[in-house]
Amino acid sequence: MPTQTTDPRGPLATATRPALSGRGLVKRYGTQHALAGVDIDIQPGEAVAIVGPSGSGKTSLLHVLAGILPVDSGAVLLGGTRIDQLGETKRSELRRTEFGFVFQSGFLVAELTAEENAALPLLLGGRSRSDALSAAREWLGRLGLSGKEKRRPGELSGGEAQRVAIARALAHRPSVIFADEPTGALDSRTGRATMAALLAAAGESGAAVVLVTHDRDLAASVPRTVTIRDGRIDAGATA
Amino acid sequence: MNSVRLALRVLRADRRTRASAILTGLGVAVATGLVLLLVGLPFATEARGERSMWQVPSYGSGEDGPATLALTTTDDFTRGDKITRVDVAALSDPATIELPPGIERLPGPGEALLSPALARLTDRLPGSQLADRFGGDVIGTIGTEALKYPDQLVALVGHDPATMPPVAWQQHGFGVGGAEQDPLLQALAGVGVVVLLVPSLVLVASSARLTAARRERRLAALRLAGATPRQVIAMVAAETTIAAAGGALLGAAISPLLLHRLAAIIPWGGGTWQPSDFQLPAVLAVVLVLAIPALVLLAAVLGLRRVMLTPLGATGAHERKPLHWWRLLPLPLAGLFFGYVVSTSSDLSPALLGLALIVGSAAFVGPWVTSAIGGVFVRIWRRPATLLAGRRLRDDPRGAYRASAGVVLAVFTGSMALTLLPTFESMAGSSSPFRDSVLYVTTDAAGAGQIVERTNTELARYGQRERAVAVGSVMLMNGPDSGQEALVLDCVTAGTLLRLDMSDACAGTPGIYSQYPLALRGVTVTTEWGAPGVPLAANIPTQPIRATDPGMSSTPIIDPAVLPAGVTPEQVTVAVPTAANNGEVVRTALAGAAGGLQIESRQALLADQQMLLSDLRRVTVLGLIVAAVLSGCSAAIATAGSVMDRRRTFGALIAAGTPVRLLARALRTEAAMPALVATLGAGAVGVLVGMGLFILVEDGAVVLSPWILAPVVLGAGVAVLAASVCRPALNRVRAESLAEE
Repeated sequence: MPTQTTDPRGPLATATRPALSGRGLVKRYGTQHALAGVDIDIQPGEAVAIVGPSGSGKTSLLHVLAGILPVDSGAVLLGGTRIDQLGETKRSELRRTEFGFVFQSGFLVAELTAEENAALPLLLGGRSRSDALSAAREWLGRLGLSGKEKRRPGELSGGEAQRVAIARALAHRPSVIFADEPTGALDSRTGRATMAALLAAAGESGAAVVLVTHDRDLAASVPRTVTIRDGRIDAGATA
Repeated sequence: MNSVRLALRVLRADRRTRASAILTGLGVAVATGLVLLLVGLPFATEARGERSMWQVPSYGSGEDGPATLALTTTDDFTRGDKITRVDVAALSDPATIELPPGIERLPGPGEALLSPALARLTDRLPGSQLADRFGGDVIGTIGTEALKYPDQLVALVGHDPATMPPVAWQQHGFGVGGAEQDPLLQALAGVGVVVLLVPSLVLVASSARLTAARRERRLAALRLAGATPRQVIAMVAAETTIAAAGGALLGAAISPLLLHRLAAIIPWGGGTWQPSDFQLPAVLAVVLVLAIPALVLLAAVLGLRRVMLTPLGATGAHERKPLHWWRLLPLPLAGLFFGYVVSTSSDLSPALLGLALIVGSAAFVGPWVTSAIGGVFVRIWRRPATLLAGRRLRDDPRGAYRASAGVVLAVFTGSMALTLLPTFESMAGSSSPFRDSVLYVTTDAAGAGQIVERTNTELARYGQRERAVAVGSVMLMNGPDSGQEALVLDCVTAGTLLRLDMSDACAGTPGIYSQYPLALRGVTVTTEWGAPGVPLAANIPTQPIRATDPGMSSTPIIDPAVLPAGVTPEQVTVAVPTAANNGEVVRTALAGAAGGLQIESRQALLADQQMLLSDLRRVTVLGLIVAAVLSGCSAAIATAGSVMDRRRTFGALIAAGTPVRLLARALRTEAAMPALVATLGAGAVGVLVGMGLFILVEDGAVVLSPWILAPVVLGAGVAVLAASVCRPALNRVRAESLAEE
């Protein structure tokens, strides 16, 4: 059974359809079970931390929910619609339009400026130069990077570079943001600030956040934590 | 663990390092093979010359001994192919004359030795078309050791000393040794080494770059762990030496086994080669095989500067420095120097130096232009591909230019050559007054009579209607130091033999026929410049004639009917017209009668010019193609390297839903655009410089041919090769886990 916390909007809130759901998710690598039947619901605008020891299956769960990896069995539903049965092209389109991604090392293009990096997914998606740069600048401003739009990744601090990556993930206004160890390469203070920036920006855009981390302190910064162990949700450890 | 063991362990364990080492080795192999071949070209011409020294008269000092034979060499033609005809007569006991390798015996009077290719032709064709030119018995074939090139057409024709032409050279035995290298091929080989070595070394650099980031991190980790700079250098040297030495040995092996055989089928100077011609002196070959990997090793060690300065060097930010405008100056300065030397000196060396300076200035101008193009892209971009390409060009113009430098140099020099060649071809020509279809031999009056008689006897025997005519040459003098040559011919025959329209002139009475008005008052006729002449009769009419070829200026024609009595021309040309289907038969009749005199024709006069121009065009196009393939390969490897360098970024973008085909399209554009712009730019500049050079040297219009589009095609080819690896490289990125390093 999936473990649900109280609705963050309060106990009287009208039940809504989850933004993203996983049902009986199984993922195998050879004979090894990375996921051994996981059920999970993520509500619209909700922030969920997935924690667990190394090799527990937390990154596999993020990749399966995001449609990066196919499942061996089970179902992934986005707004009630199954997406695990879609072909790679459709899943790519979904990832491009509905999801945003923040990884441990921002993976920014070294030659491009902060605003060009943030605008890159929009440009690759066919948006015009002015539209894409305008959206990128808006998000960089919200993330406290005004005045640094023209800087290259090499001219930014680690925390600033990660905020550029967050702006890139949010620029197309996704409904779910997947963050895989987004502060893993930062010191704890910068990490906390970056996480706060991510949650605030996601809150402004109404996006749900799925955070994968092994850092309990970081997990504590979001309202709900799901613990995964040996490919299963650890109900006892989940808050 | 010593450095070599560590390098071997890394090679065994890391697939990408292994792939990089293999590619580096292949690049070094290609560079070594090409350098060995190109440096061997002048030696190949020397080897050819040594084999064929016996075919030319030996203009020795006479101190080597008394004359033992008389020898003359002439060029003959059959169906457009050149035959080298050597006429020889023993002046002493033939048994005492040392024969060159490949010639088993000296042909006696009425005997001949033929090269295998010529023997095959004589067997195939009727005697009237070829074999009868060489006298009676063919007593054997000439071995390949005595041939300039394997399919050379050579006849060694024996004579009695009395029947040798007067121009025959008396010498002590056949010429041996002393052959010189072809200076043109020397110069071309030098250009080839630069034009082909640069893309080969860029290929090596691109291959090494595939793992540069990974290696820098590994070395930085070793430095942080306490390795000394000396130890790090030793490790890099070991890694590079394994790949480069292996490549150099492979190159040394493929050079004779593959490249020499391929080069041997490429004609130069009228024929192909023997593969062994390209063999270099052993010491030089060893020096080159050692020097190339040593250069690669040096480049690898110098590339370690960043890690050597500080263990953290590899992670330091890359500082961008703008390029100064002064980089544009070398091109106009080199152009001015070239213009000055070609306009003030007829010596070739300063002109070649000027040309080398123009080519060398590309190293300064190229990066600046690359940066400027990058700047334009960055300003005008609408698609991410243009932005990425622009930023790459702008950030590292030297590196971007270096990647294309080989093909830029090849396209620049190729375009210049392809602009100049058709223009020179259009200028090629001869001042011969005879029609293209006329064969002729120049001799003295006594010899001319015999040649005419014998030729006409043979022509009659062959059933041909054409007949040989003796065309005398006299001087029309209007003062002791003023006069001009005139040919002695009747009007109708002149119309048949010469490039002149005589139709209007022949209607009138015999006289002097001229393209331009002549003042004949006081003119005397003589057979020799300055000798006392006989006055022309009064009132000899001058008939106007027209040249059939534009630009041709003919000597006047004097009709034998008005030649003053007592004037008998001493220099006579025996000329025979040919028809469309009997050229070979007429040539056979004339050659048999002329016995070793040079048979001239306009075709023969143009043959060497045309051969040289087609040789130049062939090597230019071949050089361009090889440079383009090498540059394309290095561009492809560089592209794969740049995708792999940014694989985590692209992996993240793919994970975030960017379709691989969209990313591949952007990267293809990013990779192809610099190569395309560089080759098109180099091609355009090459054409402009070529036109400029021609205008500096000659007054006249430049002739442009479709060949100047070759760089466009090659540029597109390089760009396609460069871009072709994007999709497979991205597929590989997609297959990698985002967490994998």
